[in-house]
Amino acid sequence: MNQFIYDIAVWFDDTAWSTAIHESYYLYNWIESTHVLTLMLSLGILFLIDMRMLGWALPNVPATRLAERLNTPMLIGFVVMFVTGFLLLYAVPVRSSQSLWFRIKMVLLVVCAVNAYLFHKRMTQSIQTWEHEPRAPSALRRGAAISLAFWTVIVICGRFIAYDWYDCEYAQPDLVRAIAGCVDGQTRF
Amino acid sequence: MSSTTNPNTEHAPSFGSYPRTTIAVISLALLLAFSFSSLRGDTWVGLLSFFEWMETTWFGYVGKTWGGAFALIQAAHLVSLGVLGGAVLFSDGRLLGLFSSLPIRDVVDGAHRVFVWALAVVVGTGVFMVCGVAVKVYYLPVFWYKMLTLAVGVLFALFIRKPLVDREISEVNPKIVKLVAVASIMVWFTVAATGRWIGFS
Repeated sequence: MNQFIYDIAVWFDDTAWSTAIHESYYLYNWIESTHVLTLMLSLGILFLIDMRMLGWALPNVPATRLAERLNTPMLIGFVVMFVTGFLLLYAVPVRSSQSLWFRIKMVLLVVCAVNAYLFHKRMTQSIQTWEHEPRAPSALRRGAAISLAFWTVIVICGRFIAYDWYDCEYAQPDLVRAIAGCVDGQTRF
Repeated sequence: MSSTTNPNTEHAPSFGSYPRTTIAVISLALLLAFSFSSLRGDTWVGLLSFFEWMETTWFGYVGKTWGGAFALIQAAHLVSLGVLGGAVLFSDGRLLGLFSSLPIRDVVDGAHRVFVWALAVVVGTGVFMVCGVAVKVYYLPVFWYKMLTLAVGVLFALFIRKPLVDREISEVNPKIVKLVAVASIMVWFTVAATGRWIGFS
């Protein structure tokens, strides 16, 4: 599996567009800035919904109506984040795909997607009973808390990708090498 | 804009019907005048010792010594910026006519509380981050652009936008409400963008 990921990363790395983005000071920074600034649209709105469910914010705004209305701008934000995130991976494919933090981030993204699906399902099943309550039922509050915690860790992992503490080019513990998927003999970053 | 329902009018007649707005506009004008005057250069030189002192503080020591701690605070800065941006977009979006089925008063008031908390965390974590690299950012023009836009953003949010939305919004000229909402989004986007650009400098 790691060899497969490495081969795809090398294939990306060999394309002219990958090199062009990586070597363009302005294009790379524009993509990265867009990725970070879109936090305000995606994560910011998601956290508003989560905080509403937990009873920490907007207690007088009808909960499910808030979630429904904010769904579209939030999803637009996440689409932009995923597109720019993919471009960042495409620009620096080998190092990124073998980053411990990147891999943790990807796993947590999947966990958050599943959590969001379950959250939405539970919310639509129970709208009538708590729409105007300041706090959502406990199952939904749990989902909101998981969302807040995991997305915060995702941002932390995203920030840590920039640091080379656990890069494969340095001597690392076996566990780190296993999670990061370091491939022996790799020659490029 | 009618002044009969404006709480601003009660205690500061010397500033006219809109005291907070008047003070904010004067402050913004003074800030801009200062930015383009020779006084700015003298102040900048005088601030160097303060920035050197910031690096010697406990925040500066931690920021320079432990990269992990610095990165964690950066992440907290980013998350709080995201929440601040979410509150701005939600509230200003509502003022622009989006999410029209949600009660405008509850949205604007609730989002403002989130905005204030997020701003406090943004500023607190920002101070920590500056302490770690104080002398470096002192010499970066984009850092000062960010400080200028942040000051403008805070003045605008608390002394121009807030007094306006504290009124009965339906009684305020809709064009002014929309203008303020667009300006608010632009100001906070600029704050975030200049902040991001510090990292590239």
